[in-house]
Amino acid sequence: MSTISIKNLRKTYGPYVAVDDLSFEIPEACVFGLLGPNGAGKTTTFKCMLDLARPTSGTVLYDGAPLAPQTLERIAYVPERSVLYEWMTVAEHVEMQRRAYTKFNLARANELLAQFGIDQRKKARALSKGMRTATMVALAIAREADILILDEPTSGLDPVNQRHVLNLIINESARGATVIFSSHQIGQVERAAERIAVMDTGHLALEGVVDDLKADRKIVEAILPSETFALNGLAGDPRISRLDRNGRIVRALTSRDAQDVLARFEALGASGLRIVDLNLEDIFLYAVSPSDATADVVEDR
Amino acid sequence: MNYVEWLRVRNALRIYAIVLGALVVLALIVRISINGQLSSNEFIVSHIQSEPGTVVSHSVVNGLNRATYVNAKERTTVTIDEQNDGGKLIHIVRPAGNHVTSTQHANVVSIQMSDTQKNGMESITFNTDGPVSFVIFLGIASVAALVFATIWGCSFACEQGHLEYALLKPVTRTRYGLGVIGYDILGMAIVAVMTVVAAIVCMSMFEWPHFDFSHVAEPGTALLLLLPLAWYAALNAATASLKRGSGAVIGFAWPVGLVISSLAQIPLQDSPVGNVFHTIFWTVSRIIPITYLNGATFSDSGRYNNEGLPVTIRIATLIGLTLIYGALTLVQWRRVEA
Repeated sequence: MSTISIKNLRKTYGPYVAVDDLSFEIPEACVFGLLGPNGAGKTTTFKCMLDLARPTSGTVLYDGAPLAPQTLERIAYVPERSVLYEWMTVAEHVEMQRRAYTKFNLARANELLAQFGIDQRKKARALSKGMRTATMVALAIAREADILILDEPTSGLDPVNQRHVLNLIINESARGATVIFSSHQIGQVERAAERIAVMDTGHLALEGVVDDLKADRKIVEAILPSETFALNGLAGDPRISRLDRNGRIVRALTSRDAQDVLARFEALGASGLRIVDLNLEDIFLYAVSPSDATADVVEDR
Repeated sequence: MNYVEWLRVRNALRIYAIVLGALVVLALIVRISINGQLSSNEFIVSHIQSEPGTVVSHSVVNGLNRATYVNAKERTTVTIDEQNDGGKLIHIVRPAGNHVTSTQHANVVSIQMSDTQKNGMESITFNTDGPVSFVIFLGIASVAALVFATIWGCSFACEQGHLEYALLKPVTRTRYGLGVIGYDILGMAIVAVMTVVAAIVCMSMFEWPHFDFSHVAEPGTALLLLLPLAWYAALNAATASLKRGSGAVIGFAWPVGLVISSLAQIPLQDSPVGNVFHTIFWTVSRIIPITYLNGATFSDSGRYNNEGLPVTIRIATLIGLTLIYGALTLVQWRRVEA
């Protein structure tokens, strides 16, 4: 079982900064969801974690030690795109994994591939996108690794197999494996992940335990007396991490003490007051949506 | 650990085995179709046998059978002596077409022929079981290995697109890379053996070859064996980091290599510009392994003939190039990113 520690990770490609000063820890036996819009740096982060891309600076430690060849015995990775050898059959891929990793469970691989309905005699080139993803997931799960890193593991899968992969992720965590996965399907992340990190343009925008993030973050919604009504410094309230204003309607994202914020709005004479619980998608969108997109309706300056 | 590489090599060997099998079958068909014509002395004596007035006599000389065909009218005598090793020594004396005095020798694999014309008579001697230098087989094997060295010249580039599998094996990149090289060299060695076996099988259908190993231990053999290795290493060094376009590099490698190494041989020093070009081509050609075959030839008997660079320099350079290109390949492989 492993704890993964990422410290000040930075990766640049020429002038382009893919990942910048990224730091977080992933406790062992945890399901960790890495979220972010396209180009946020999720895949680059995974590659840096696996030494598939060399970090420009920063460190990735597994139980306090940098990645070594023998550590790879304990890590299984599913990339976002198919890396299967087109000319090889699925059975040959299974054999490749069996020969490379001592803990590879052949019976489990056969069972998983059968569950996904994959004919092992087929060459990879004959598989659909979803079947390729399913094959890579099955090969990774059969590794019985301590750490599973899955980059969009449900990409291209039908809803039934998406659910199946999600259940496999949860089962792997129950077995004691640390699972790190990314997905654009936030509902899936919400269902499976205990902790999340949200990345945006290479930076860490948000990180924490899903339940805590949801418990702490609320939207306080109010209707102001007029469109030009002054908010009297509410934007500077440390409990409010974001304030969106659209005409008379104002929404304040609070990171704590939502009831107190509600009381401040009430004192200003606002009506229609209510506290809205956030789901993970709301939290994600608030973390990554550019502030300048709503600048004209935010702030009471 | 290098299962994928083994599969790649095995698949290529399978295809090559099919090609060689087809060649053997073709040789068998040819052999069957000419059965009775080339298998013995009948082909040679058929003409004289059909001529009226030919007298045939059989005798035993030194315990071995001799057949003599004499046609006084045609002034032709054919003597066929069986030999201890199963071959035949055929001696034909007949009128020459002209009065030129000449002597010619020719070898076609195991058949050695000499033709002497003097005083209006022609004396032709065939030895159907002449020695065949094993260096010839090694030369054929070297050509086949060169073809596969070219095919496997992008072994590392082939892993692009699959690095997430190749680089996440629980071994160092250097060890994995050495495994790739090891399987490819093993593949080339198997190709060479398969080629030699197929050549011997094809030849033995016509005449069991009497091998001559006398020149095998000469330096020329080392040149033949080293060239595919150096070529393989050079191509991989050129393609190991390429995410795409490695096929084009492989495709152009032979024509570009041949053109440069050929141009390097042409003296252009008559003009200053020509001198510059010659210097450029000569310098560039030094790093192209196939350059070191220029001026290296083999006689019918398999004897290595050398012009230009001494053979020891050629061999040492090829060893050096192989090691340098191999190291360059591994350095690139260690630095490659997915």
